[in-house]
Amino acid sequence: MKRWIVIAVVLAVACLLPLTLNPTGYWIRVLTFTLLFAAMAQAWNIIGGLANQTSLGHAAFFGIGAYTSTILLLKFGISPWIGMFAGGLLGGVAAFIIAIPTMRLQGHYFALATLAFGEVMRVIANVWTPLTGGPGGLSVPFVPPSLALYSFKQLLPHAYIALAALVVVTIIFEVIRRGAMGYRLRAIKENPAAAEVIGIDTTKVKLQTAVISGVLMAMLGTLYAQVAVFFDPDTVFSAAAISVRVALIAILGGVGTAIGPILGALFIIPLEELMNDLFSSGAAGLSQLIFSAILIVVILWQPRGFVTVFDKMTARFSGDISDKDRP
Amino acid sequence: MTILEVRGISRRFGGLQALSDVTFSVPKGQIVGLIGPNGAGKTTFFSTLVGLIRPDSGSVQLDGDGVVGLKPHKVAALGMTKTFQNVALFAESSVLDNVLTAGLLRHDVETARREALVCLDRVGLRSVAHKLAGNLSFPERARVELARALCTGPKVLLLDEVMAALNAVEMQDIMGLIRSLRDDGITLLVVEHHMRAIMTICDRILVLNFGRLLADGPPQQVANDPVVVEAYLGRSMEAHR
Repeated sequence: MKRWIVIAVVLAVACLLPLTLNPTGYWIRVLTFTLLFAAMAQAWNIIGGLANQTSLGHAAFFGIGAYTSTILLLKFGISPWIGMFAGGLLGGVAAFIIAIPTMRLQGHYFALATLAFGEVMRVIANVWTPLTGGPGGLSVPFVPPSLALYSFKQLLPHAYIALAALVVVTIIFEVIRRGAMGYRLRAIKENPAAAEVIGIDTTKVKLQTAVISGVLMAMLGTLYAQVAVFFDPDTVFSAAAISVRVALIAILGGVGTAIGPILGALFIIPLEELMNDLFSSGAAGLSQLIFSAILIVVILWQPRGFVTVFDKMTARFSGDISDKDRP
Repeated sequence: MTILEVRGISRRFGGLQALSDVTFSVPKGQIVGLIGPNGAGKTTFFSTLVGLIRPDSGSVQLDGDGVVGLKPHKVAALGMTKTFQNVALFAESSVLDNVLTAGLLRHDVETARREALVCLDRVGLRSVAHKLAGNLSFPERARVELARALCTGPKVLLLDEVMAALNAVEMQDIMGLIRSLRDDGITLLVVEHHMRAIMTICDRILVLNFGRLLADGPPQQVANDPVVVEAYLGRSMEAHR
């Protein structure tokens, strides 16, 4: 019961927070991207946390989503809301195709294979100029502000859409984790041979997981395109800025837990912005250096993610001993 | 009524003929012991039956369905599963979750949870249902293996050394359990090194040596079979002279 009250309070704060920020200002933008990256890391968490397959290629699905909705809008005037689902479909197909050869790989090998796939997508987007605009990138065309066409004057609606996306992806994650699929994924993670012998179709479960994660990531690509308004292959298919970053957010926050990616994004995205603010006028790369140093310290301090600190805190405040559902 | 029909199963690993031309059939409700010296191919044979290892030749019929070439989860769905000799639990999950996961083969989560508790009751581990499987003692873990396999609702259950490291009392319990499973209509194949246990509970014993079926018959007959004695103890001195 206490758990639900906490969740309700957090949601209420999250809903009110955007209103307190200057709607044309800088921090509403940071908040929007924080929420968006939290949702992305949560989508990654479905395969990275529940199936324990550390994908470093999720930019592939993200970029597919961004490009699909934007191209549909540019060439056919189709609303990005519909384009988002088209992108999700293509992202799911891509996830299916990449999962077939990589599914049997584990650990580093899986990470490297997916990393390569993300890079392949980046190269394709760079050379397929007639469709993607090549290295020059695409601009989301200006249309008169309307909800139906996913176009707004201010960032405020984008912040709420990102929040809604985070809530939806988090619910999907929790439903999977607590349901039959969650049990099957934990079994596969811990002992694939035993999982098969007791009747789990390990191939099917892994494929389903990869596809769900890919679909969600692609749909979030559309959200990004609509906020960013301009993007090119090197941004949306970026190994460092997308693939590695979403994995990092989830891992730093607490991989495999629903709260992990949220904590991770709340820490990483604002910190990165703050570092850029404070140090970008100094020596080149100084902000990145300090940012990375902080990450290293944090990982050494909490190797299992912020979720450990969070659990201790909630236990102290609510008197509720740590979540016993957590595997 | 025959529930398991094994015909001409052979499997070679490089230069080693792990199984050669294994043929037998089991009527429903029998407890069959599978014995043989270390390296005789007992575990390989179990793995072949459930689909973890594909045989080079031969066929296996489970209640009329051919299972050779099927993946293990299909074989489990058709009603045959095994326990693992070296214990392959989901160590980071609770005992209950280990067993519940197997119940998902035929049930939704809530029904699977109830089924799992029933299975844990049968192996006498309900009291540790919420402990992490990895924190149990070895004999307890072997019993969780048994409960987990049981929760898949098998017609044929292959038990690979579930009595290893048990004390006399625990062994009695497991033997009673195996008999009660048989009374429920489950057919059991049991690999065990403890001879007295296996002679007591089995209706019939198969002896495997160098991947070949050496003997097949009631416990007393097999125990007195000179070929079997030779396989275990070596040839008597007189035979060399």
